[in-house]
Amino acid sequence: MTKKFRSKKGAERTANAAIYIILTIISIVWLLPFCYLLIQSLRGETGSSTLYFWPKEWTFNNYIKLFTDTSIYNFPRWYGTTLLISIVVTVIQSMITLITSYALSRLRFKMRKPLMNLMLVLGMFPGFMSMTAVYFILKLVGLTQNMGLVGLILVYVASSCMGYYISKGFFDTIPKSLDEAARIDGASRQVVFFKIILPLAKPIIIYTVLTAFMAPWGEYMFASLIANGSQENFNVAVGLWQMLQRETKQQYFTRFCAASVLISIPITVLFFCLQRYYVQGVTGGSVKG
Amino acid sequence: MAELSLKHIYKVYPNGTKAVNDFNMEIADKEFIVFVGPSGCGKSTTLRMIAGLEDITAGELKIGENVVNDMEPKDRDIAMVFQNYALYPHMTVFENIAFGLRLRRVPDIMRDKNGNRVLDKNGKEIPVMRKYSHKEINDKVTEAAEILGITEYLGKKPKEMSGGQRQRVSLGRAIVREPKVMLLDEPLSNLDAKLRTQMRSEIAKLHAKLQTTFIYVTHDQIEAMTMGTRIVVMKDGFVQQIDSPKNLYNYPGNKFVAGFIGTPQMNFFEGTLLKRGEEVDINFEYSDAKITVPYSMMYKAKPSYLNGKSKVYIGLRAEHVSINPEVVKASKTKIKVRVSHKEDLGNQTLVYGDINMQGDGYTESSTRIIINADGNVDFKAGDVVDAALDISKVHLFDKETEVSILPRIPEFNYIDCSVKEGKITFLGTELNIPPAINCADGKYELLIPTDAISLGGKDAVVTVADCEEINGKYVISFELGERRMFAVSDEAVKKGKANINMDLKKISLIQNGETAVEAMPELIKFEGKLIKNKVVDSVEVNGVMKKKKVVKFFLEIEDCVLPCSDAIALKLISAMGVKKAFNEKLIYECTPYDLTFAEDGISAEAECVQNYGREKFAVCKVGEKTAYVYCNGEVSGAVKLLPDVEKLSIIQAAHNIRII
Repeated sequence: MTKKFRSKKGAERTANAAIYIILTIISIVWLLPFCYLLIQSLRGETGSSTLYFWPKEWTFNNYIKLFTDTSIYNFPRWYGTTLLISIVVTVIQSMITLITSYALSRLRFKMRKPLMNLMLVLGMFPGFMSMTAVYFILKLVGLTQNMGLVGLILVYVASSCMGYYISKGFFDTIPKSLDEAARIDGASRQVVFFKIILPLAKPIIIYTVLTAFMAPWGEYMFASLIANGSQENFNVAVGLWQMLQRETKQQYFTRFCAASVLISIPITVLFFCLQRYYVQGVTGGSVKG
Repeated sequence: MAELSLKHIYKVYPNGTKAVNDFNMEIADKEFIVFVGPSGCGKSTTLRMIAGLEDITAGELKIGENVVNDMEPKDRDIAMVFQNYALYPHMTVFENIAFGLRLRRVPDIMRDKNGNRVLDKNGKEIPVMRKYSHKEINDKVTEAAEILGITEYLGKKPKEMSGGQRQRVSLGRAIVREPKVMLLDEPLSNLDAKLRTQMRSEIAKLHAKLQTTFIYVTHDQIEAMTMGTRIVVMKDGFVQQIDSPKNLYNYPGNKFVAGFIGTPQMNFFEGTLLKRGEEVDINFEYSDAKITVPYSMMYKAKPSYLNGKSKVYIGLRAEHVSINPEVVKASKTKIKVRVSHKEDLGNQTLVYGDINMQGDGYTESSTRIIINADGNVDFKAGDVVDAALDISKVHLFDKETEVSILPRIPEFNYIDCSVKEGKITFLGTELNIPPAINCADGKYELLIPTDAISLGGKDAVVTVADCEEINGKYVISFELGERRMFAVSDEAVKKGKANINMDLKKISLIQNGETAVEAMPELIKFEGKLIKNKVVDSVEVNGVMKKKKVVKFFLEIEDCVLPCSDAIALKLISAMGVKKAFNEKLIYECTPYDLTFAEDGISAEAECVQNYGREKFAVCKVGEKTAYVYCNGEVSGAVKLLPDVEKLSIIQAAHNIRII
């Protein structure tokens, strides 16, 4: 008796086709807003919304004006401030996060588990819950408005070690015998961390750096609060929001779009620079698996 | 290049699990020590404690002259090879080996740019610590690579290499530093069988070449037997036996060691021993088998097992059972075996059978027997044959404790004696009974511990027949009358006539299975705890003597409080933790010689003075306990006992850990 059967290859082909169609739809949905933004930023006519998609007049004026017409909205200054904050925060926060997670992964001390749980639970509360308190403290020590830059960095960096969870998980996968071998070879804990563990932890360093950079780069609430209306000390998010107020929307909408495109550049560049480490595993050959 | 000393080493985890119990060992320079045992026996933990990767809960670890308990691994001057190699994956083989050298500092003298010595004001060389130079590192790495045959791989990354090559790199990383001690944690477990045999001989060769102390952990008894100069067999955190491979095989201290060492596994039967005059019957359980041997073969056996009731394990290796017709014919000790099957290994044939005619010979039971038959054997399953047992090679173990009852160092001499009119007579020797021993006239069995007999003195004249060194002690066997007896001594003795001395406070007399006279206990136990107090003391501050409050430690022993040195207190605190050290009960042990009568001390009630002839001991009641105190005068009534605090051994009662 012969039984009719479906060809395995055929079935695979149908399934693949379905998957590709779904993925295409998803990517269109994701890319469309960005394309819209890009196109709007190149529009010559003003006005917040048009009834047509393709602009009638193409121009780079919006980009140029962002940097030349700084009398009302000082975009270059905002951009610089934000970049500076993000870079400083990235450096400090990555370091703190990695060191904390390494310590929690390797050292055994009393209250280690309760501490980890506490940090995890605290991390679940949104940061703005403490906003007013933080603001008053910063105001008290004079770290708002003109000194807002320092205040913001402090606020962003403050809770760095709460983000230990993912990198600790990664450090746990690096065999402990590597640490032990190095310690017997004469390395101190610091040397072990910087010379043995960090070179092996590239993927998680990249992850930490990216997340650390992205958070302050687009942050609005604290930045707005701490700048407290002082235009000079806005970051890009707060600044750009000014362009979208009811009174200014008509005139500045296209410029806003141009600025948005510019803001996406550093993250994209950072990601493309780092992505090759992101995928690559580096622990091969160290220990017998 | 250093000797190691491990004294009362314990590892207890915070949850109370004891990984290592009372590990004691002296390791000489250049020895190759192997820790062997089933997984979870604490062998790796011990090694990691030596390396400094695990904290030592209690005890003292010395490498060379230094106590290293609290030393960082890097300062201990050791090297370790891991089971999973633990190579640094992002470095080349060269960098892997050189890593330790780059971090190392070596003592040197100060030099200027041209390499000339710089002298200080007095014209002396200035000692400095310097890094290894580029060339030195290069030379050392190349040399190590040449020894291990990995020169061509120096530029490669670990992931490009095979398991055997990686383990070589790992060895190279260890030897390049010229450590005092090499620690190897199951280095060959991840290799395949052929490579393992090859690496085994290479590690042995390396040991011969480097002339360093090696400590090697493995679960493979063949690795242990072939490589070690001495082997430590461990189980469940306890050291079972420490001895040379040959002695472990020939004189296993307990059933576990006997079964663990040697293939095929030793045959174990259950049975009883019955002494009838100068003969001993060995009865096998679950079988009709029974053999009779002369008592002279069982002299070392502990007497309490020869009563025909105490259950014992009878162990006999496959090669000590023979079914060769000629051997069987000549043998007086033979039993019937029902053959079940055989395993042909080429050079030898293992015949499996059962001494119980209903047994199947396949399952491991207390009647199954494996016989090593050399040459051709021609048996069918179900045949019943005679097998000759070589009883001189028999091992006997207690059924409950599984400890050998034929120890290499016997504990007791067991002889008949008679007591009459204050004199004890045995084997033609007559001794005066000291007043302390109080027994009626009659016939007794006399138990003389082997350490109660010492040379010199005038108690008896004997003929020393043999003097054998076992683990640093000398077992002297001598003839007294017609009997062979044993004594333990710290010094070697020449053969021939000698005088002996008997310490009568250690003997016991047994009549009809009941102890009539008990030996005096050697250790006295007290209870108490550690106390700290602030005491006003004069302390030197910046050269001026000042009155200051200082924390001092005291030991509460029963009802008295004695000051103790900081060293003792620190040992207790580091072993038990600050909180427990001051709360938990401690047990103190001391000998009668460490107690003296004093103005202040443990209150006790002196009952009488026991006169053992040469020495006198006061019997004192401390609460419910009895304490013996060495004394020469007369004492009675209420007294105070003062122990020598420095000589006390201290045990944590809750976990039974000997801390000091």
